[in-house]
Formats: sequence, structure tokens, C-alpha cells
Amino acid sequence: MSDKKRFLDKDYTRRQFLKLSGKSLVGVMMSSTMLATLGVTAQALADDKVRVWAFPQGLLVVDADRCVGCQRCEINCTLTNDGVCSSYISRVKVTRNLYSSRNGNGLYTENNWTYFPDTCRQCEDPACGNACPMQAIEAGIDGIRKVNQDKCVGCGACVAACPWHMPTVNPETKKSSKCVLCGECAVGCPSGALSIIPWDKVAAAAQEV
Amino acid sequence: MSAKNGIYGWAGQIARINLTTGEVTKEDTLPKYKPYIGGMGLGYKVIWDEVPLETDALAPESKVVFGIGPLTASGVPCSGRMNISFLSNWSKGNSIVDAHMGGHFAHAMKYAGYDAIILEGQSEKPVYIKIDDEKITLEDASHVWGTGTFNTNAVIAKECGDTFDVCSIGQAGENLVPMSTIITSVGNSGGAGVGAILGSKKVKALAARGTGAVKVARPIEVRELSNYMIKDLVGGNNNHNVPSVPQSWAEYSATSKNRWQGAPGVVWGKAPNGPVDQGEQPSGQINVAALRCNKGVFDFGKVAEKWTVKQGGCSSCPVRCYTEYEMDPLADYDLPTHVSNTCMPIISGKNIFPGESNVHDFVDEGDAGMILGGSMSRAVDDYGVWDNYGNVNSDFFRMYNDGILKEHFTEEEWNETPWQLMLDGDPRWAWEFYKRIAEAKGSWKMLGVGTYYLYKEWGLDDASKNSAGKNYYDEVSGKNTNVTYNGYPKHHSSEDAWQSGLLYNAMYNRDCMIHHCTNFVRSGSPYEEVIKPALAYWFGEGATDAPKAYTPINDAKIRVAKWSFLGKQWHDSATLCNWMYPMTLSTSKKRNYIGDLDLDAKYMSAVTGEEYTRESIDFDCERISHLLRAMTAISFKINLGSDNLRKDHDAIPAWVFDKEPDFKAFEKGTVKMDRDDMEKAFTMFYEAMGWDTETGIPTRETLEKFDLADVADKLAEYGLIK
Repeated sequence: MSDKKRFLDKDYTRRQFLKLSGKSLVGVMMSSTMLATLGVTAQALADDKVRVWAFPQGLLVVDADRCVGCQRCEINCTLTNDGVCSSYISRVKVTRNLYSSRNGNGLYTENNWTYFPDTCRQCEDPACGNACPMQAIEAGIDGIRKVNQDKCVGCGACVAACPWHMPTVNPETKKSSKCVLCGECAVGCPSGALSIIPWDKVAAAAQEV
Repeated sequence: MSAKNGIYGWAGQIARINLTTGEVTKEDTLPKYKPYIGGMGLGYKVIWDEVPLETDALAPESKVVFGIGPLTASGVPCSGRMNISFLSNWSKGNSIVDAHMGGHFAHAMKYAGYDAIILEGQSEKPVYIKIDDEKITLEDASHVWGTGTFNTNAVIAKECGDTFDVCSIGQAGENLVPMSTIITSVGNSGGAGVGAILGSKKVKALAARGTGAVKVARPIEVRELSNYMIKDLVGGNNNHNVPSVPQSWAEYSATSKNRWQGAPGVVWGKAPNGPVDQGEQPSGQINVAALRCNKGVFDFGKVAEKWTVKQGGCSSCPVRCYTEYEMDPLADYDLPTHVSNTCMPIISGKNIFPGESNVHDFVDEGDAGMILGGSMSRAVDDYGVWDNYGNVNSDFFRMYNDGILKEHFTEEEWNETPWQLMLDGDPRWAWEFYKRIAEAKGSWKMLGVGTYYLYKEWGLDDASKNSAGKNYYDEVSGKNTNVTYNGYPKHHSSEDAWQSGLLYNAMYNRDCMIHHCTNFVRSGSPYEEVIKPALAYWFGEGATDAPKAYTPINDAKIRVAKWSFLGKQWHDSATLCNWMYPMTLSTSKKRNYIGDLDLDAKYMSAVTGEEYTRESIDFDCERISHLLRAMTAISFKINLGSDNLRKDHDAIPAWVFDKEPDFKAFEKGTVKMDRDDMEKAFTMFYEAMGWDTETGIPTRETLEKFDLADVADKLAEYGLIK
């Protein structure tokens, strides 16, 4: 199968999934039964509810109950994409939820044990890209939207426009950094709080039903 | 420096804060401190250069160094710890000591761009130090002064903003109680009396956030080395490398109770969306590594699952050793239910219930220790009391039972104390107990001065000077774990690691905090098949003894002792967690369960871009070790008139040799030690370190080999070396 065909197939599956879930911009609260239908087993995920996002290359599952606050997602993100180790410029964000978050969660709040990674939603209609005055946030053939570093002027419009403030302007390079779906956050997550279920697995499971 | 400054690994910058003047200055970390790595080594160099050892620990001239190292926040797993160095005001000789604090603060400080924060002088009013990248300010702390650490951390975190981490002292530190801590996250603490030193400077807390980055020379190599470590090397906490119960993929399960307690059917019972089953965690898989440890189940058994929400720990660490509980039974006593800790504060809940106390279960059979421990850990951390690795509690326990306490308390003090809570096994007793220690009033003050001055003052170090007729250091008793006559207990000593353990336990001015040996001894791996060959591989035949089957000292055991001693300095300088490192064993059958002791050097090379080896790291750590030893010798000379550390610092209490009277040392079935053999072991160890075998003090030749001629000169000034 050619790469192009595979992408198309994946995209088809993703669209089917979105149609099925009826959601695109916000997280989908899924029951274990529904996840099981899609090949996401209770063995691999939490028993009851998890938050899932439909990404071009698979289903990103964020299980807050499993997040242990180690910040290895941020570490692996920045080692991979920035060549440094940092929390602030990471494209996945857990530290801002770990201490005394704006939502009233974190170790120094009454909800001590509520902390989890925030991830880019890869929105169908991206507020970050729409707000960029330089049109620097572009989608590639794989459907993944990335910041074109040559075009970006570091104005922060994308940060402000994103409802979850996921992009970050790197204070050193003055360029925005935004999730490129490399998947290293999930690969290196030691508790399985972040995982990516490839679409071919989702599709195969759907065909079995 | 950080990415901004073009240096790999180190942030490159140290902040110096003068609390008397409010002045904040910055200085370069390198090249001055590079031979001392960072963290502990850097802290020792600062104290050596800048604080005369005559200095009163609580005087304005005394300094505190918050130090981290080139591997902190570099991406390397288990690099979330911080070392805090200062002069002791509670241990024999009042020499250099360290607090070691986990949590997330070390990362925040590094990202803000600092390898160390040096605090000097004394503020007139309570302040907290706000570190916001380059900007460091002293902020008013009068609104949190007098309150506990949980309130302080919550208030300051909220007022600083959502990406600030905080650490603070409690009332114990404010009241200059020597047994005091600094607390961050929920239950991560640094001890050794740092609370009092900060209290004397009127520093209530530090808050930090960093938007910067740590520059890494070969970032993908760091990532891949980290993944290799998580996949193939690290097991449960303390690197216990085989699961506690059989798993379908595993050749072995633990031969003795170990800390890899995660297993199918072991659950985080109070997870918000229903129990999380820890499942199987095969070697070779990253995404299950954090599910191997379950400290709660290790500490208390199955009863812990019911109240467990998840497992927490430090920045960058895939092994989560802080079980995070919601202990509902504490709500019945109007006590906080959100509890998290590891080790002493949560496992010794029963140890403040001496004599006829009615310690009882609460909801489930066998939950007494857990519920009382939960209450204790919140109380001791909120007041910021340091338990001196359990000695505060065991000294209280022994003195209550021996009637010593009642003799020394006034009638008013005795009657004011709500003993009924203690007698009832009520979890509120912990709060009453630590509150009184933190307040430091009347006779209660003595419970917070530390074992050394307590025994001295109340005659407990001499059987002829107290009504119990006991020497509390020497007494053979399950509650006595004093490892020297200096005021601190053993921290995994000869009971785990024969002569080697005892040697390194005697080297510091607090409990040694070394886990090199206890980690493989208690790993759960079969001794003959895994532990013995692995250690022989690293250190030669005879490096280990089988449990309770000890043999006389030999060269290989001295190598193990020196490796452990130097390695601890390395971990607290790098900084890496000594509960996890070194990677002596592995989870992998393909590796014959042999770990990778070169991993630390590989990390250093990949992070800094310079080539490090085990030998080059050991060399720097030997330098730090000599500095520790020299400072200790000078302090002992100044404060005690001692010329001999072997005799006055390293002496081992009698119980180590006299326990289990039915056994002789080296018989099967005992871990008791032999006096003559131990003397021989000390001589061999001093020789291996290049120290004078009579005094245990580094020789000039040794010091000069490590560029420490100035240290030799100072020792000569005091007449401590020939």
C-alpha cells in the first residue's frame, strides 16, 4: 500500500470515528464498552472513562487517573524537538497542572491528586492557525499542523487564541512551539497515562464488530 | 549555563542572596565548581571557602547552599533531587551536614537558570524568596509565618502563579528546633535541621519557576539512554529488579519481600474513575515502569489499596515511591485525609505510642499502622519537624517506657500533655506530639534538640547517670539503632551489608542515606543465582555475603564500601536519586540481571558533551569525600578538642557487636558483627581512602593528589596531620 493510500485510509477511519463520537474540538468521554468496540481494551486503558483525541496517526488517550506527575512527557518532548530539556516550552503540558493550577487542581490545592497532561487537540478548525498573522501554522500532507519556523515572528497570537494555550513562544528562540505529533510523550510515558492507538488498530477492531 | 549561555548540563550560574542587605548577586558556576560537580560537592566547596568551621550554625555568618548538578533536569530519569549543605547544630562536632529534598523544586530552580542558591546573612522580618527566572526578589512572608508548611506552600503557590513550585519550613524551623525540615510537594522533605537554619535567617519559603531550558549536548542520546534504563534496567523502587509475586513473563519472583509490589489485582482503589489495576510490568516495556512500585502495599499490605489514589514522586522519575492516599478514616478525627510520604514519617506511625497504648485498627483489619502513619506524616511535615530517620520517635518511646520522660517533665508539663490520646491509639496524638516539639517549650524542647544533645543533657549516654541504668547508644533494644555515638541512627547498615554497610554509615554527620548495597541485598533476586554473581562481576569474589551468613572482612568488601561511599557523593552532586541508582542489577534475563554501572558516566558524557568515565567521576567524588572528612576533623578539633576521627567519630556502639548473645559473629543465622574484625575493616577502608589509619584523617599526600593542598594546610594548622 502506498503511503498516500495509507494516510487516506487512516483519515477515513478518523473521520468515521469523529462521526461516531460526534465530537471534534473537545475531548470525548468514552465508556469502556465504546473503547472496546474500537479495539481499545480495558487492559490497556483505565476501566471506566478516559479522555481521547482523534489525531491523524491514531487515537491519543489521556488517562488522568494514571498520570503520576513525573513530567517525563515534557522532558521527552523537548529533548526530541528542541534539543534541550525544558518544561515551559514543552508541547505537552503537565507542570502547569501539577502545583496550583488555574483550575484549582494540583499538589498545593484541595485537589492534591488531580493533575494530568494537557495535549494539543489538532483541531479541525484550528484557532492557533487562524489567529496567526503570518499564516505560519501549516498542515503537511500527513495532516499535522506545524509552525513554520521561517514564517513565525513569535508574536504569541497562537498562544492567546488557543482555548487551552497549548502553543508556547520559546523565550530563547522567540519562535512558537506547537505539538508536531511526534508521539515521544506517549512513547516515554512510564504509567500509560498517555498512549496512542494507531488508526489501523482502530480500523481493524471496527471491522470485527 | 542554560541554553542561554552555551554550557551543556550545568545552568552555569549561582545566585547569592544576602538576607541582611537584600542584595542578590550572580556568579559563574564554572570553572570554579566543576571539580566538585554540583549539589553536595559544590555546597561543600562553598562552605569550606566561605564559612569558618567555628561559626555558629544559626549565626548570620552561617550559610545554606541549595545545590543541584549537571544531570538535574537534564532529562535523565530520577534527577529530581536537591542537596542542601550547611553546618549542623545538633550532631556531635557540629560539622557539615546535608538535607536532601526530592519533589519538583530542583527542576524549577534549574529551569530558572541556577546550579545553586547561596543564602547568607539574616533578614529582620520573615521573607520568602521568589525566583522567577532571572528575577529574584525577597517577598514578605509575615502572612504565612507561624503557619504550617501545607498552608504556606498553598498560599505562596497561589500568589506566585500556576507554574511556581514552593518549599517551606514549618513552626519547628521558625522556632529554631534543630530537628527540623523543609517541605515541598506533599511530603517531600529535606532534613538535618535545615528548617532551623532557614528559620534563623527568617526565610520561610522559596518559590521558583523557570521558563528556561537545560542545554544538552546529545539530546537524542540522553533520551535513548533514558529509555534503555527504563526498559531494561530499573525495577521497582530501590531498583528491586524482580516482581514480588510471579508474573507470566518473569523468570523469578522475589525470594524475600521487596518493593516491586505492582501486580495484576493490585489496585489504586480510590482512583476517581474506578480502580486502576497495576497489571503485569514486563522488563523491556516503558509504559508500565511506573506501575512496578507500590510503596503503600509494601509498607502496609493490601489494606493500603483501598485508600490509594495514585503513586507520585519526583520530577523525571519513572519509579513512583510516594503513594498518594485519601485516607477517609482520618476525617472522623477532623484530620487531613490527603496523605503522601515514603519511608520514616509514614511507616513509623506506631512508634510514638509506647507502653500501654491501645493501638488498634480503624476500618479494616491490619490498618492501624497505615492510619496512624498517615496522621503522623501530615503532622510531622506540617510542623516541619525532622524525625532524624526515626530517632526522635524511638528516643521518645524509650524514654517514656523507662520513666525518664516523667522524671524530667515538670508536673505542669506532664499534666498538660493529652496522654489519653496516646493511650487510646488516637491519630490526633501525632499532631499534639509534633506540635509540642515544634513549639520547643520547656522539657518538650529536649525532644527536638537531637539525640546527641538529648543524651548528653539527660545523662542517657552513661549508664551511671540515669535512673534506667542504661547507655542509650549501647543498649541492645529493637528501638536503638544509633550507628555511632554522634546522634543519628543507621540507615541500612551491617544488617543488610555486613562490614561495608557499617563503614559507610560511620562516615557522615547524619544518617548516611546510602542505598547502594541495601538495594541489591533486598532486591528479591535469588542470592546464589543473581546477586552473588552480579556483585562478583563488578567487585570480585567475596564482595557479598549471603543473608545472615557473614564472613570476615576482605578486599572486595572494602571495594564495595568505597564504591558506595563515593557513589553517594556522586548522586547528591549530580544530582541523581540514590534510592534508584546505581543500576547494579537489571530486570532483564537477557542481561543475566546484571545492571550497568557505567550508565551514570554515559549520561554525563551525553549531557555535557565531555567524556566521563566511572573512574573520572569517582575521582571527583573522592575529592568531595576528602573535603567531608577534613571538615569533620576540623569541627571535631574546634568543638571537642579531638585529634582522632577513628576514635571520636567512627566508633560503633556496643549493641552492634553484643546483640543476639546466643550467636557468635560469622555464625549462620546472625548479622552481629565482630569488634576485632571491624577494627581491621576500618584500617583497610582508611588505607583504601588514603587516610591515616590511626586517626582516620586524610593525609597530605592524598589531599594534594586531589588538588586540596589548602585543605592539608588547614589540617596542619590545627595539628591534625603531620
